[in-house]
Amino acid sequence: MPGYAHPELLVSADWVAAHLDDPKVRIVESDEDPALYFQGHIPGAVEIGWHSHLQDQVVRDYIDVAAFEKLCSQAGIANDTTVVFYGDRSNWWACYALWAFKLFGHNDCRVMNGGYKLWKAEDRPLEREVPNYPATNYTAKPIDESTIRAFRDDVLAHIKAKKPLIDVRSPKEFTGEMLHMEDYPQEGSLRAGHIPGAKSVPWNQAVNEDGTFKSVEELRALYEKGAGLKPTDDVVAYCRIGERSSLAWFVLTYLLGYPKVRNYDGSWTEWGNLVRVPIERGA
Amino acid sequence: MPPLGLPKLEELINELGEADRQERIELLIDLARELPPLPDRLDHLKDEAHRVPECQSPVFLFVEAEGGRLRLYGDAPIEAPTVRGFVSILVNGLDGESAEEVARVPDDLLKRSGLAEILGMQRSSGLHAVLRRLRGMAAQAGA
Repeated sequence: MPGYAHPELLVSADWVAAHLDDPKVRIVESDEDPALYFQGHIPGAVEIGWHSHLQDQVVRDYIDVAAFEKLCSQAGIANDTTVVFYGDRSNWWACYALWAFKLFGHNDCRVMNGGYKLWKAEDRPLEREVPNYPATNYTAKPIDESTIRAFRDDVLAHIKAKKPLIDVRSPKEFTGEMLHMEDYPQEGSLRAGHIPGAKSVPWNQAVNEDGTFKSVEELRALYEKGAGLKPTDDVVAYCRIGERSSLAWFVLTYLLGYPKVRNYDGSWTEWGNLVRVPIERGA
Repeated sequence: MPPLGLPKLEELINELGEADRQERIELLIDLARELPPLPDRLDHLKDEAHRVPECQSPVFLFVEAEGGRLRLYGDAPIEAPTVRGFVSILVNGLDGESAEEVARVPDDLLKRSGLAEILGMQRSSGLHAVLRRLRGMAAQAGA
């Protein structure tokens, strides 16, 4: 993975294949489709679902520290385990899970480049058996969440200060022609458009057809030439519910090496429902 | 809940609805596997006109009228077993019914089957779109 700022964050399918029995490595599948893991997953991989495991079922937030510690302990993840995420949809959910793991302070997190799609396309082995690992005694050390997570008040301050925002939704969602991604109706927002000053960089421009990330040159052209970002910028990325923007957060932070990128996980489903916040329409 | 009056569909939906989360996922995977491949004559017609546009995964539905009864066919990716399993429920549960009966399938199918619960509210709308589309096609085929 030449040229990326933190190439160690990305591992290849070959690397994963060579570490399937490595007790220091845990492979984690995170998918949109809740049945995909159980239909066949990388041998030895555990499943951590964005909806079923990482989100609180009542409050719109992530699970708390105790629940995260229990989740990791049960998955056989220790504090010093190398956790490698992969999944469907070009690793959206894998990046989302990695971002959540970072919030709880897990040190060694990586993404398998190409995700489920590439592993399957290369005819690599998949198995249905759900593995069982000896429980660990995981202790979460949450980071200062304000370093990678933005809330609505942070976003308001951000637009006042005229700092850059990246909107990774589809072009029609950005202009306000559509309230949601074309293929996902009814993910409720009352108003359409984008946060003032945001630049549109649809998420799929950051990945290739085979599910791998684009090259560092292509990514730089996309975010720097295209959206006018500079590596020293303080950047906030958002989408509709915070999952596609965690892919952009991953790319900017680890592949391009931007030191200050935050994911606004409230995203459009929050902003498009807030009273009296500024909204722009059109390209 | 009132019975659907569609015994095959009802059996599938009830079995799913009564299962726990893990059993439900296993059932969906089995159902997805049991979805018969499209006949060749329809496989050539997998185009935008036969696709459910609201569903993120490419889902194709075909309805043919045959002596007052409907023959249903569908396809969805192997990589989206939940979606494919749901298409399989509709195709297997409603094949051979009349157009009126298919057009009457209620909206709460996803809730009854427990699928809404495992998908999360934010991700069930694509499957609702599949159901709406099938009902619309049935009504047209019966007209």
